[in-house]
Amino acid sequence: MYSLKVNDLCKHYTETLLFKNISFELHPGEVMAVAGWNGSGKSTLLRIIAGLVRPTSGKVEMFFKGESIPKESRRRFVGMVAPAMSLYEELTALENLEFFCKVRGIACDRKSCLEMMERAGLTDNTHKLCRNYSSGMKQRLKLAQALVHRPPLLLLDEPGCNLDSKGMKIVESIISAQRQWGMTVIASNEKREVDYGDRIINLSE
Amino acid sequence: MKSGRWITETGSSTYLSEAVAIWLRDLRGEFRTRYAVNAILMFAVTTLIAVSFSIGSFRIGDAEQPFLYAVLLWIILVFSALSGLSRSFVKEEEAGTMDVLKLSARPQAVFLGKLFFNLTLLGALELIIVPAFITMMNYEIQLPGLFTAMVISGGLGLGAGTTIVAAMIAQASARGALFSVLSFPLLLPLMITAIKGCEKAALGTNNPGWPEVRIAIAYSVVMIVMSLFLFPMIWEE
Repeated sequence: MYSLKVNDLCKHYTETLLFKNISFELHPGEVMAVAGWNGSGKSTLLRIIAGLVRPTSGKVEMFFKGESIPKESRRRFVGMVAPAMSLYEELTALENLEFFCKVRGIACDRKSCLEMMERAGLTDNTHKLCRNYSSGMKQRLKLAQALVHRPPLLLLDEPGCNLDSKGMKIVESIISAQRQWGMTVIASNEKREVDYGDRIINLSE
Repeated sequence: MKSGRWITETGSSTYLSEAVAIWLRDLRGEFRTRYAVNAILMFAVTTLIAVSFSIGSFRIGDAEQPFLYAVLLWIILVFSALSGLSRSFVKEEEAGTMDVLKLSARPQAVFLGKLFFNLTLLGALELIIVPAFITMMNYEIQLPGLFTAMVISGGLGLGAGTTIVAAMIAQASARGALFSVLSFPLLLPLMITAIKGCEKAALGTNNPGWPEVRIAIAYSVVMIVMSLFLFPMIWEE
């Protein structure tokens, strides 16, 4: 139903070339892993795919039933987790999820938000302010936030960041659930996370 | 998990409902942290006390009072607003929530949500400062209706002008200085109009149709409409 086409992407920051000639296609059920040294442009590639950063050249297109989704709408079809992305610390975990449902226009009730929190292993801390969360709990909440609108494209930038072994199992279950119908792109240096990918792009090469 | 759920369910979403969600989130956050409220109220109350103690109601002649009091009132309101209203966008950048908001909400809804939030703060500021100013300065107003309309329409323009500037400076490095520097020329025509309107209300010189109020409303409408067109470009990288 959905597909992603990345065509000849290139990104420069002033004089520095980050990457060039990145092309791939992604279809439902597929997982793409992006590997590379620190500073090789993994996070930037994911931000370009999400529509948060413009590429220097090349094109990212997302299709729904063969029709291209406009760039300005594409962002809302994406669920993204990244170390630099934060949630609202002055809200509770449940308030955060409810806010992202409302702002995305999803008719979501408290029950489905609680289900999502259960999936992320945060059932005992739903009414706790995010500022009082540990870094691992914040990462789990970010995962719940990325999934709350059931996005066809899931972008995971270092998804295991700050997570314990239970948290890593949650990441694993999220990726396998997404495989049932959606697309996933994972950027990481961790072998375990890169191994989730059916295909690998190495930006260090 | 079912694919395609997203598309059908977003069909019911409107800019207004998204904007209201952002407005309520900002209000809830502000209620818990009080960053902007503290900055604005501290500035306003300090300035008001300084002005009332140093000038008082007896050091200015009766003839000059309507004009000078209008000037002082709007100086307090404008500079109090400048001290805190930039927070609406700056806090998103500082907290690292800008990206997740960009992925979730449409730009126009974000602008409207932030505008509603700034107008709420300004409304609260005016509710506290204007009666306090009138009482402390013994400010006599002959036409309270015109005065109230001027304060409300001036506040609307002030909120509209500062919200778009706050969005522009959010990703800059010297935000504080930039906010005042960019806002001042943008707000000057509104400030002059509002001062004139309040002076007329104090003097009791009633021009038919309240032209100053109409200018302030027109300024606000133009500013909001232009911002809705410009904001998506500012919101993009």
